[in-house]
Amino acid sequence: MAARRYDLPFAEDGSGRFLPWMIALMVYLAALATVAALTTRAVAQRWNAGLEGTATVEVAPTGDAAATDAAVTQALAVLRNTPGVVAAQPVPKEEIDRLLEPWLGPDAAREGLPVPRLIDVRFTKGARVDVGALTRTLVTAVPTARFDSHSVWLERLQILGDSVQLAALLIVALIAAAAGATVVFATRAGLAVHREFIELMHLIGSRDSYIARQFQNHAMSLALRGGVLGVIAGALTIGALTVISRPIQSALLPDLAIGAAAIAVLALLPLLAAGIAMLTARITVLRALKQMT
Amino acid sequence: MVRFQGVAMRYANGPEVLKDVTFHLEAGSYHFLTGPSGAGKSSLLRLMYLAHRASRGTVSVFGHDIANTPRRLLPGLRRRIGVVFQDFRLLDHLSARDNVALTLRIAGIREDTIRAHVAELLAWVGLGDKLDATPPTLSDGEKQRVAIARAVIGRPSLLLADEPTGSIDEHQGMRILRLFEELNRIGTTVVVATHDQRLIARFHHRVLRLADGQFTVERQSMGI
Repeated sequence: MAARRYDLPFAEDGSGRFLPWMIALMVYLAALATVAALTTRAVAQRWNAGLEGTATVEVAPTGDAAATDAAVTQALAVLRNTPGVVAAQPVPKEEIDRLLEPWLGPDAAREGLPVPRLIDVRFTKGARVDVGALTRTLVTAVPTARFDSHSVWLERLQILGDSVQLAALLIVALIAAAAGATVVFATRAGLAVHREFIELMHLIGSRDSYIARQFQNHAMSLALRGGVLGVIAGALTIGALTVISRPIQSALLPDLAIGAAAIAVLALLPLLAAGIAMLTARITVLRALKQMT
Repeated sequence: MVRFQGVAMRYANGPEVLKDVTFHLEAGSYHFLTGPSGAGKSSLLRLMYLAHRASRGTVSVFGHDIANTPRRLLPGLRRRIGVVFQDFRLLDHLSARDNVALTLRIAGIREDTIRAHVAELLAWVGLGDKLDATPPTLSDGEKQRVAIARAVIGRPSLLLADEPTGSIDEHQGMRILRLFEELNRIGTTVVVATHDQRLIARFHHRVLRLADGQFTVERQSMGI
């Protein structure tokens, strides 16, 4: 038997030709939005993991180096005697100078700027430390000390991460809706073009579901082709951005690392597009055919 | 089998093309439907193959009052009706084989069964060497034979043919009408619309005559 794909002449139907390109564009945008969301999530998790279970004590400079040293020593003593604190180490002055260098320049240390001293504090994993009580004890013992549990920073980071993910999700939802609308338009155009054939198929006993299957399989095939094209274009764009961003060394710029989860999600996008197209075409055709005799 | 009671038909808001048509086709009967061009033969057939609704009166097919038959039951009724359209209505992008097979595919018949039956029937109508030809490459006579094969492949209970011999030579025409008689002998009700009075005269069947939308039934043609 000769190769037969569809009973309806979709190959001669111009209304479906633009569909793969529209779907490709939408899947491309969805791929970028998805990777943006996954990257933000990964960065937030990385920063969260790095800061969780730690705190920083800042001892303000007094102008007298010996007095500042004494205050740091006093703060270390308080911290090391606190149950749940596994380590408290002063951050070396060279490290503080290095951290400030991008903002104050390389000569900041030599110019004698009053730079606070920092103490890294690590808590025992799972320990429940009464941060309020520790802060009060610390400030009583060392009035120039300030305890930073990173909670405000982590909270803001969490909000930022959640917002980016929500925005990406909304973008993907809007793209899915636009893809659905595109499929509805293409399917209605196809129904109009093939009306005569559809009537014939009805007359020889075709059920609506048989005709709908023709349209849904055609839409699925076109969307799958477009989806694969879109996701390949998205992957190439992300790859190019990764290469471009690699030489930029900055703690503030996230890595565009594409993990297994991201690859899996990207691979699912064409299937999702095909599924949306199939379902939308089926519903559109069944609704339209109900109006026919 | 088919019963019309006071049936009228109009297209959109146009004038009635059929008026007060009343007749009954018994199961297993064979009728010619005749009348001058524009008399309403094709319109009457459209009502019979459920392509159009009567504007008034009652059309009953296989015991179903069509006006009150749920839409979901229509495909089942239509599968029991084979139609040879005057303009063939073949799908140009499909081969002769796939055009004929379409009727069986729609009915959910297995592909291997379809393959055997379609090839056999197309060979019978003289198109055994044109199985993979598409309609645009076929002559009108060949297209008509494909259309006839498509109409009869599903062994319909009711066969409606609109000018089925109009584009084929007399020899092929006789063969096709004898095929219809074979089907009629095994129980298929046949209605052949034609304005060819010579053809009607050669077969000994009842004649439904239409003129100006009005209808008369003649008991039998002059058989030879």
